[in-house]
This record gives sequence, structure tokens and C-alpha cells, in this order.
Amino acid sequence: MCLENFSSQVAERHNKPEVETGASKEVLLNPLIISRNDKERVLIETSVNSLRVSIAIKQADEIERILAHKFTRFLTQRAESFVILRRKPIEGYDISFLITNSHTEQMYKHKLVDFIIQFMEEVDKEISEMKLSLNSRARIVSESYLAQFN
Amino acid sequence: MAFRKIDIDALEEDALRQEELDFQEIGEPRPQHEVEAEVNSRAQEVRSLLQRGDLAGALSTSLQNPPYGRHLEAAKARNTQTVMEVLISIKVADMAQFVKNLSFEEQDVMMKYLYACMANPEQSNSGQILAWHEKLSEVAGPGCIVRVITDRRTV
Amino acid sequence: MSAQAPIINEFNLGPISCHSFNQDRTELAVCFNTNVVSIFRKAGAAWNLVSSLAEHDKPVTSVDWAPKSNRIVTCSQDRNAYVWTLDSATQQWKPTLVLLRINRAATFVRWSPEEDKFAVASGSRCISVCYFEEDNDWWVGKHIKKPIRSTVLSLDWHPNNVLLAAGCADMKARVFSAFIKGVDKKPAPSPWGEKLPFNTVCGEFTNGTGGWIHSVAFSPNGDALAFTGHDSTITIVSPATGSVQSVRAPYLPYLSVLWLNENQIVAAGHDCAPHLFEIKGQQWSFSASLDAAVKKADVGFTARDTFRRMDSRGQSTASNDTEVNTHHQNTINSIRVFSGTRDHVEQFSSSGIDGKLIIWSTDNIAKGLSNLHL
Repeated sequence: MCLENFSSQVAERHNKPEVETGASKEVLLNPLIISRNDKERVLIETSVNSLRVSIAIKQADEIERILAHKFTRFLTQRAESFVILRRKPIEGYDISFLITNSHTEQMYKHKLVDFIIQFMEEVDKEISEMKLSLNSRARIVSESYLAQFN
Repeated sequence: MAFRKIDIDALEEDALRQEELDFQEIGEPRPQHEVEAEVNSRAQEVRSLLQRGDLAGALSTSLQNPPYGRHLEAAKARNTQTVMEVLISIKVADMAQFVKNLSFEEQDVMMKYLYACMANPEQSNSGQILAWHEKLSEVAGPGCIVRVITDRRTV
Repeated sequence: MSAQAPIINEFNLGPISCHSFNQDRTELAVCFNTNVVSIFRKAGAAWNLVSSLAEHDKPVTSVDWAPKSNRIVTCSQDRNAYVWTLDSATQQWKPTLVLLRINRAATFVRWSPEEDKFAVASGSRCISVCYFEEDNDWWVGKHIKKPIRSTVLSLDWHPNNVLLAAGCADMKARVFSAFIKGVDKKPAPSPWGEKLPFNTVCGEFTNGTGGWIHSVAFSPNGDALAFTGHDSTITIVSPATGSVQSVRAPYLPYLSVLWLNENQIVAAGHDCAPHLFEIKGQQWSFSASLDAAVKKADVGFTARDTFRRMDSRGQSTASNDTEVNTHHQNTINSIRVFSGTRDHVEQFSSSGIDGKLIIWSTDNIAKGLSNLHL
């Protein structure tokens, strides 16, 4: 996460995240993909003054897919309060962060990294917990429903 | 409001274009058949080294002179496959020792291949690749990863 | 000589984007990532704000204080540069606009050793070499354009006042001639070349593995050039022998590089600590992190303290994980000579995004290193 204050060389007197504009090829770097398997991937795209971290969350079955979708939607709608969250995930991923040089100036770099890692762990945990509670709730509902026919 | 459809920035003559960047970093593109022949012969050599059980030799041979350039996708995929074959035939416990014996150059190239493998998870054994990644970054540090990102000679 | 601990000046006014001291190091110009440059005067251990240079309307990117002529030059993303002179009667700094003729942000500025010109790097793919034109009573700029293909990130002057090194975002470090007729005398021949009309390219180098060139520096005698790239390498070029050496560091990229003497280079950047590189025989190599070397000295105490604390309170003092284990808590973006001469730097100052300005003494580097060797 090595960024600096780099003002645009395309637009006069502007300062844009180069990873988003993509106008100057030489300030973009090779994207990295880290993956555990086909479903769980992280894409890291870097540039001189900004970087994008996109995460594909594990979705083993239909329920997890629905949950992940709802969950990320809930978060992105509140992107404002998450500061580094990107309002729209990159194509093929569930959630994206956009970190610019001003973020690294205000916050500790290692804390930002910790946050993203913690976030990923929490999301995984949250979704599996939700899945469990969803299943148990479904069982209770069906039990009470079927109880009527006893 | 109609958005402008023409990319006017592309018309600026001073701007560095992708092809120029490639040329600057990689040099004259090599003919495809030549590179492919080289990659194939290396694959043969590595395989025979593996059969003889010379893992260290196979590893360093597979990391020599990787194909660079945008037009060589097939050769790159082939070479990544070769490196993969070596990597998965080394046991997790022995990894650290192999990593330490590599030169700086080889460490950088190896890191590139690790990321290349991770980019295609369906073809590779991610667990093993992640274990390699851990061992390699312990030895070569974050500098090695930074060089994967900056180096335009991708594998 | 007793080893001095690094002197830490904490401003807490925001990230420091650049800094520069006056000649006797009693005053300091700092920019806290805003459009204002603040001038501080030393009072004991503290620094008191004495004036603010507010003329730019975008963040200031670089500042340089000419030691002999006591002039300050600032440049900013608003495409302008100002030369500030101190009005002796009112003790006020007066700005003079410089005609840079660039249409993108100015990124870096440095006075030449003679202080009769300065160079401004910019995002409009050129360097503006500025000198004072008596007739017009005006600073004017002359452009070095070819063959720069991207934003120029850093500059360094050769001690002969003519050659200029530039590090650029197109992965190249170049050495140019910035010879201005009427200002400069003909320079003595050097390994970089003999005939040097303006804009002569005396050398063009890459570090082999790509990455923008963040910082360039001529060696004390000017015969070699060191530059650091975003790929965490330091490359040392000496044209006399034709040798080009790239040292791959296992750390995050360096943003600033400084020669302590002919045999030692300090580089600092995203890893939050200054690192020392040394030449051994003919070979440059990484030798130590200066911050760790300083910390090493008191490890004996702290380890014992830690155990005692664990013992008495029954808890392990897990490292306070908000803080990094270095003096700087975030990226260092500039290191400059604080005291000593060009070929024997005694102290250097570093400033970073964490808003700290630290003065390191090389004395304690030698000490720290000898501790390490033991």
C-alpha cells in the first residue's frame, strides 16, 4: 500500500485516483489476484495514488449466495460511513475497497490492512452464522407449521 | 448531456502508450515460434530432472529466462504449467530450504509465477501455492512482492 | 563522541509533504500537505511558528531554502512556483511569481548549488530550469522536454551547477545538462560528458525491474548517481567505470535517497525507517535499518522489563499494535542533510506522513552498527 499524492497529468489541476481513471498507463501497476479457490478470490489493483481491493466472498450454495448479496448490498449502501468502501464492486467480485493517498495520510497503513483482513474474516463468519440461524429458524417455522397438522 | 465518445487523451502525442511501455521495458518482441520452442524444450528438461529426483535443479531450470511480452500468452501459460509441476512436487516441509538457495533474480521470478498460478485457481493447487508464497515472502520480504507489481515483464 | 538518540520533532499538524531548513538550522520551512508553507523558528527544543507563506491555492509539493542567499522557493499543484525573499525592514516574506510555463502540477523544486537558478519538475512532462533575468526583473523558465514521457518526480543538482538528474514516472532516471548561457561558466569536463549545451541527455538509466523513479541523488563528488524506484531497488550508476548496480531490497519502496559520504547511502520511504546501504569492495549492498540499530541498544532493558511486567501482572504486554516499531509511524517522504558537508553528512532530517520531523545523527549510525556487528 504505497501511495503518494500524485496529481493528474491528464487533467489540469486535478487529482484523481489513477486506478479509476486509467488514463495514464505508466502509473498503473500489474494487478494481483490471490485466491484460495475459484470462489474465494481477492483482486488487488494498484496505481501511483490509489488502490482497489476487490473481494469475492465464498458462496458455496444458493443460501450463501443470497446472504452474501444482501450483506454486501447493505454495506455498499452505507459506503459513506465506511470511508474506503467503493460504492460499486468491480465486475465479478462482491465488494470493493478504494483506498487513495488521502486515506493513507489520515490513517495508519497497517491499520487499514488490518481492517480489510478483519473485515474479510468477519464477513465469512457473519455469513456462516446467518446461514446457521436461517436454517434453525426455518426448522422452527416448519416445525410449528407442521405441528398444526398433528 | 451526451458524453464524449472519442478518447481525446489517446490523441496526445506525448502520452506514453501501452505498446511503447512494453517496448521500453521488454525490448524487441521475440518471434513467437522461437519462444515456444524454447519453452517446450525447457519443459522436457525440467521433466527429466524431476524424474531423476533433482528437485533443486528442476526448480532453478524452470525459472530461467521466462517468456515476456503481450503476444506470448500461449507460451506463458505453458511455462507457468512447467513451473507448477515443479512446485507441486516439492513437499511443504522442504520449501524453506529450496527458497533460501535461490538467487534474488530467481526469487523475483518465482514470486511472479506464484501470483500467475493464483490467478488461475482452477488449474492449480491453491493450498500448496499459498504455502510457497508464505515461505518465499518470509525470505524475500515485501520488496519481492512489490517487484511483482511494478515489473511490466509479466509472466 | 557520545551517541545521540534521534531528535524527534512532533508537529501534529498533519502529514508533512516537504521540509527545508535555513543555513544555520534555526529556522524551518514545512508544508503540512496544504497550500501554506509554515516557517518555524527554533526556541530551545520547541519550534515556534513565525510566519506563513500563503500564496498557492493548491497543495504545496516541494520547498527549498537557499542557504547562502536566504531565499525560499516553493512549488505547488497549482502549476506555479514562487521565490520568497525576506524583507529586512518588515521581516516579512515577499513572494515573486516565477514564469514556469507549465500546464500541470509542479512536483519538485531544488536550488542549484550556486543558487543562481533552480529547477522545477512537473507533471507536464518537462523540467523548467529557472534563472533570474535582470532586464525584466523576473524569474524565467527554460524547458527540458525531450525525451521525458511522464511526470518528473524528483531532481538533484550536480555539484558543478550545470548537470541535473531527474527521476521520472516513465521508469527512467536521466541526467541532463541545464547549462544557461550568461549564467553559467563552462563546466569542467566530467565523466558525464564534455560538451554540454542545454538539454543534452548525458545518461538514461532504468533499474531493470520497472517502477517509477522516486528519488535521485548525485554522489558527493558528482561522479556517481543513485536512484530508487518503486520496485524497492536502489541503483548506483557510475559513468566513469560504466558500472550499473541494482540492489534489491527486501522491503517496501524508498521515496528519498541521500548520500552520507562516498561509501554510504541512506534511503527511506514506505517502510517508515531509514535504511543504510554501503559499498564493500566494489559491491553495494543493504547493511542495516538505522531505526532498528538505534532500538537495539535498549533491548536489554526492555526485554527484562517485559518479563518483569509479565511476572508481576500476570499478563504479557502484547505489543501495542497501533504503533509501528519505528520512530516514524508512517511513510517517510523526504530526507535531507541537516549538518555536515556534502561528502561527510553528520546529521540528516527526515519528515513523513505521520507529521514528525526526525533528526538522525550518523554518529549513532556508526555506533548502532558496531553494536549490531557484536
